[in-house]
Amino acid sequence: MAAEAGPAPAGPPAQGVPGDHSPGTAQWGSAGRAVLTSPALRVTGKRLLSAVPVLWGVTFLTFVVMNVLPGDTAQELLGANATPAELQTLRLKLHLNEPFWVRYWHWLSGAAQGHLGDSLVSGQPVTSILGQRLPVTFELMIYTFCLSVLIAVPVAAAAAYRPGGLVDRLSMMLSMAGLSIAPYVLALLLVLIFAVNLRVLPAIGFVPLSQSVVGNIKSLTLPALSIGLPLACFYIRLLRADIVEQMQSEDYVVTARAKGVAPWQVLIRHALRNSMFGFLTVLGLNLGTLIGALVIIEPIFSLPGIGQVLLQSISDRDVVVVEAVVLVFALIVVLANLLTDLLYAVLDPRIRYGRPSA
Amino acid sequence: MAAPLPDTLLAPGVAVPAPAGAAARRRRRALAPDILIPAAILALIAGGCFLWPLVYPVPAPVGGSILSAGLPPFSPGHILGTDPVGNDILSRILYGGRVSIEVGLAVTLIGLVIGGVMGSVAAYSGGIVDTVLMRVLDVLIAFPALVLAVAIAEGLGPSELHVIWALSFFSVPAFARIARAGTLRLHGQTFMLAARLSGTKAWRILLRHVTPNVLPQLITFGLLGMGVIIILEGALSFLGLGIPDPAPSWGNMIALGQGTLSAQPVLVLIPSLFLLATVLSLNLLGDALRKRWGVR
Amino acid sequence: MRFLRKTKKSRLGVSAALLAVALAAAACGSSGGGGTSGSASPHAGGSLTVLEDSGYEGAWPVGLDPATNTNGAADQSYMDSIFGQLFELGSHGKIIPDMATGYSFSNGGKTVTISLRPGMKFTDGTPLNAAAVVWNIQRDLKSPCTCKPTWPVASVTAQGTSAVVINLKAVFAPIIASFIDSTANWIASPAAVKKMGEKQFALTPVGAGPFEVVSDTLNSVLVLKKNPHYWQKGHPLLDQLTFKSVGGDEAAYEAMLAGEGQVYENMSTPALLKQAAQHFTVVNQLSTSPYDLQLNTATAPFNNIKAREAIYYATDIQPIVSHIFDNLYPLTQGFTAPGGICYQATVPGYRTFDLAKAKALVKQLGGLTVNLGTINVLVAKETTQALQTEWAKAGIKTTIASYDLGPLIAQFTGKKWQAMVQTAGAYDPAAGVGVGFRFSSLSPFSGVHDPKLDSLLNQAAGTLNMSQRCSLYNQAASYINQQAYGPFYFAFAPANVAAKGVTGPGLTSPLSSVVVTPNIPWEDVSYSPGG
Repeated sequence: MAAEAGPAPAGPPAQGVPGDHSPGTAQWGSAGRAVLTSPALRVTGKRLLSAVPVLWGVTFLTFVVMNVLPGDTAQELLGANATPAELQTLRLKLHLNEPFWVRYWHWLSGAAQGHLGDSLVSGQPVTSILGQRLPVTFELMIYTFCLSVLIAVPVAAAAAYRPGGLVDRLSMMLSMAGLSIAPYVLALLLVLIFAVNLRVLPAIGFVPLSQSVVGNIKSLTLPALSIGLPLACFYIRLLRADIVEQMQSEDYVVTARAKGVAPWQVLIRHALRNSMFGFLTVLGLNLGTLIGALVIIEPIFSLPGIGQVLLQSISDRDVVVVEAVVLVFALIVVLANLLTDLLYAVLDPRIRYGRPSA
Repeated sequence: MAAPLPDTLLAPGVAVPAPAGAAARRRRRALAPDILIPAAILALIAGGCFLWPLVYPVPAPVGGSILSAGLPPFSPGHILGTDPVGNDILSRILYGGRVSIEVGLAVTLIGLVIGGVMGSVAAYSGGIVDTVLMRVLDVLIAFPALVLAVAIAEGLGPSELHVIWALSFFSVPAFARIARAGTLRLHGQTFMLAARLSGTKAWRILLRHVTPNVLPQLITFGLLGMGVIIILEGALSFLGLGIPDPAPSWGNMIALGQGTLSAQPVLVLIPSLFLLATVLSLNLLGDALRKRWGVR
Repeated sequence: MRFLRKTKKSRLGVSAALLAVALAAAACGSSGGGGTSGSASPHAGGSLTVLEDSGYEGAWPVGLDPATNTNGAADQSYMDSIFGQLFELGSHGKIIPDMATGYSFSNGGKTVTISLRPGMKFTDGTPLNAAAVVWNIQRDLKSPCTCKPTWPVASVTAQGTSAVVINLKAVFAPIIASFIDSTANWIASPAAVKKMGEKQFALTPVGAGPFEVVSDTLNSVLVLKKNPHYWQKGHPLLDQLTFKSVGGDEAAYEAMLAGEGQVYENMSTPALLKQAAQHFTVVNQLSTSPYDLQLNTATAPFNNIKAREAIYYATDIQPIVSHIFDNLYPLTQGFTAPGGICYQATVPGYRTFDLAKAKALVKQLGGLTVNLGTINVLVAKETTQALQTEWAKAGIKTTIASYDLGPLIAQFTGKKWQAMVQTAGAYDPAAGVGVGFRFSSLSPFSGVHDPKLDSLLNQAAGTLNMSQRCSLYNQAASYINQQAYGPFYFAFAPANVAAKGVTGPGLTSPLSSVVVTPNIPWEDVSYSPGG
C-alpha cells in the first residue's frame, strides 16, 4: 500500500525540482509566512483546480476496472441456482444491461451534482453508507496518527541526543525491524499477545465513542498499533536523522551551545522544534499510506469501517459504492497533499528539506 | 501495506550524511558488515528456497499424508512440523519463499525497466509528454492501489503471474517518479549541456549520461521497494487473491494459519519470521548501499 | 525505544488492574443477587451478543425484507428474531407449528390449509392475519432469491382471518418442510412495507417476531430489543439481542474469550472446536447434509462408470474424518443424515476403500486425471487436499482448486467441471439443497442426467405417506450407488458455541440443521451472566 503514496512525495520535497507539480515542491516556499497573502491563495486555487482531472481520472479508472471484472451484481446477489430469467429481471432493475458509457455518464453527471447514487446491492443511499462507516475509519486514522507521532517524537529525540550511542543504535535497529514487519502480521501478533493470552484488549469489534470512551479507545488500540507501530518506526528514523543534522550544523545550535545552554535543552527547544515543521509535511503526505493499510486491518478486527465496505463492494461488483469510497480516498490524498504544501509554505519558508546536505 | 516505506522512499533528502571520515573508510572496505550481513542472509534464504530442494530431498509442499497431519515442530522427518493436512512446513516455507522472491524480483524489475524508462524519457523530453505522464501518475497515485490490485486479482483469477501484473501497477509509477526526479536534477549539469551541444542523440544521452547517474538511486529504491512488494504479495494472499492454495506462498501460509491462530500459533509464526527476515535484510541492504553510494 | 516500552508496560498494568476490579465486581454482583442458577425457570432479562461469520451468516447486504433478501437461510437468525416463524424445525426433522397452529392436506394432497394463531399483531400494531400471510407468500413467490418457495402453486387465498389455503398443481409432500428453508416462513407487516417502501423496510423491517429492530448496520451489527407484545407470554426471555459480524471462527473465538460475545453460530474449524470446548459449551448440531463428491457424468472422464468406480475404491474416508475432523462426524453412504427424515446409515453394496481394485480400474482406463474443485471453505479445501493424496496412491492424478461462490457457479454453468466436493441432502431430502439439487437432471448444479433417478425423486416428492416416501428415497440411494454417480463421505454439521450461563435450544441442546445451521428459536434463549 505504501507504494502508492510513499514514493509520491519522495522526490519533490527533497529535490525541489523545477517544473515538478508534485506535492511539497519547494519552489514556492518563498510564498511567505502568511497563508492569506494572495500568492498562497492563488496557488491553493490552482492546486484545487488541478485536482479535478486527477479525481475524474480516478473515477473513470474505477469504472473501467469494475466493468472489466467478470460477473455482475445480479449474479453475485442471486448466487447459486438463479435462472437466466431471474438474472435478467434483476439486471433490468439495476440498469446493468445498459452500455458502459451510458452507465458511466449517468453516474458522473449525478456525482457532479453531488448525487453519489444508491448502492446496487442494498439500495441504501451511498451517502448514508459513508455516514455510517466513515466516522469509524476516520477515528482509527486519527488514533493511529496520534499514536505513531507520540511514539516517534520522544524516541527520535532520545536517539538523536547522542548519535551513535546505545539508545540511538538500539532504536535504529528496532525501528528497522518494525519497519520491516507486515501490518497484518503485526496485527495477528498483537491479537495473540494482548487478546488471546493476556486478554487485556479486545480482538474484534468497535465500541462507539458515544457508548463508552474507554471502550472506544480500547477497541481501536490494537488496530491502531498494527498500522501505527511500523509507521512510528519510519518516523523515528526520519526525525532522528533531521535532528542530528541540525544539531551538527545549524548556526543557532552552535550559538546556543556557545552560550552554555544544556545540550538536551538545545535539542528540544531548537532542533526538535525546527524539525517538527518538516516532519509535519511528511505526516500529511503519509495519510494516503494509512488509508491503504486500513483496508486490510479493518476486516482483521471486524471494524465496521469503510475498508470492509470497499472489499465487500468489490466482490459484490457494487460499482456505485466502490466509486464513492475510492473518491473519498482520493480526495483525502489530494487534500492532504494540498494541506501539506500550504503548511510547508507557511511554516518553514527556509525550505530546510530542499537545502543540499552539508 | 501500511508499509511505511524506508525513509529514502519518502524523503531521500533527509538521509543522514555519514560523517565524512567514516564514510570514506567504509567506502574503502569492500565488504563492510552492514552490507555483508543482510546480503548473506538474503543469499541464504534465496539459496535455501531455490537450490536446497534440488540438492537435498525435501517432501513435496503439497499432497502430504493426512496420517501425519498437525505434527509439532521438531518431529522426526519434519523439522518444522506439518500443517493440518500433513504437508511438511519446511518444504512449504522453501517453495513458498520461491513465490515471494519471484514476485518481488519480477515486480521490481518491471518497475525498474518500464518505470525507469518512462520517468527518464518524460523528464528529458519535457513538455506535453511530461505533463501527460505526470497526470497519469497523479491518477495512479491518488487511486487506492490496493483496490486496483484486488480488482485485477479477482478479475483475472488468483495466480502468480496475475499477482505480478497487479503489483506492477504499484512499482511502475513509483520508479517513474524517482527516475524523473533524478533525471530532472541532471538538467542543469554541465556534462549534459556539453553532450547536448555536441549533437549527441537523445537516446545516447539517456543511455550514457542519465542512466549511470539515476541507476544507483533506482537500485537502492528497488531493494527497499522489493520488501514492500513481498509484504504486498502476502497481503493479496491474505485476502485470498494471491497464489491459490494448496500451492504455498508465505502470505497464504500466514492467511491459512490465521484461521487457527489461537490454537496453532506456529502456523502463523514460522512464515512470518521468514517474511520478516527477508524484508528486514532487503531494507538493511538498501539502506547500507544508499549510504555507501551517497544516494539521497 | 526504552521509554516507549516503559509507557506501554505501565498502560498495560493499569488496564490489567481495571479488568481485575471489574471481574471482582461482576462476581460479587452475581453471588449477591443470584441464587437462581440451577432452578427450573430460565432467567428472564439481560442482553446477549451473538457473533456470526462474515463469510456466511454475518452478511446481510440487501437488508432483511423476506421478499428482497437474497441470502436466505444464511440470515435466518435475524429473520427468525424479527419475524418469528410459522413453523419451526425441531430435532430429527420434526416440524413444530409456531405462529401457525397446524396444517392439513385435502383434495388428495393438492390443497394445503394452514391455520394461524389468532390475535397476533405486528410491532406497528397492525394484525398478523390470513390476509397478511397471503400477501407475504404472493410477494415471496415473485422474489428473485433462490430461497423463495418453490412449490407448484396454483393459488394462495385467505379463508377467514386465521386460515390460509394453498392450492397446488401437483402433490408436493415437502411443502410444510420447505417453509422452513424458504422465505415463506417469515411474515412481514404489509402496512409497514407500503408505508416505508421496499428499500427502507429492508433496513428497518417490521414483523411480529420476538424482537424488534433498534439499529441495523448492514453486514456489521444488528441490535434488537424485546417485542413486549410477542404472542407467547413471558417470551422472549432476553431484553436485548445483538448480532455482530466477525471475520470467521478464529476471530469469533478470540472475541468470546474477551467477553465481546456470548454465542457463536456455526463453528467448523476442528482445532478451534477442541480449544473452545475448554472454555465454553460447544454443541454439535444434528447433521442433515452429508459431504459428497459430485461427478460430472456428462463429460470425460466420469461419463465412464469405471472412472467413477475407481474414485469410490480409491477413497478411504475414515482417516480423513479422524485426522482432519477429530472423528466428530459419522460416515455416510447416502444423501440422508442423522438429523433429517428417512435416515439410512448404510447403502447395500456400497463400494468402500479397496486400493487394489482402484489400481486395477485405473490401469484398465490407462490412467485417470481429475480436476477436483470445492467451495472456498477451510474444511472443504482440506478435504480435497486429503483426497488428492489418497487418490495419488491409486495412480489417479488430481489437480485441485477452490472457488468463491460466484466462480463456483461459473464452473457449474460452464459444464466443464469434473468433480466437486459438496454437500447434498436436507432435513427433508426434497427441500432446499436436497438430493435433487445435486442429482436431478433439471438442476444446473447436478452432474447426473438420468430419467430413472428423476422419476424416483419426483415420485418421492409426490408421496404423502412417510414410510412410502422413505422407501423411495432408499431406492434412489441404492440406484445412485449402483450407477456409482457419486460417493458420500460424512455427515458434517457445524457446532454452536455458547458462554456459560447461556441456555436454549441449539445452544445447550442440539437441533437439526436447516441448510447449514439450525434455526435457533431466539425467544427461548436466556442468559444469566455468572449463572
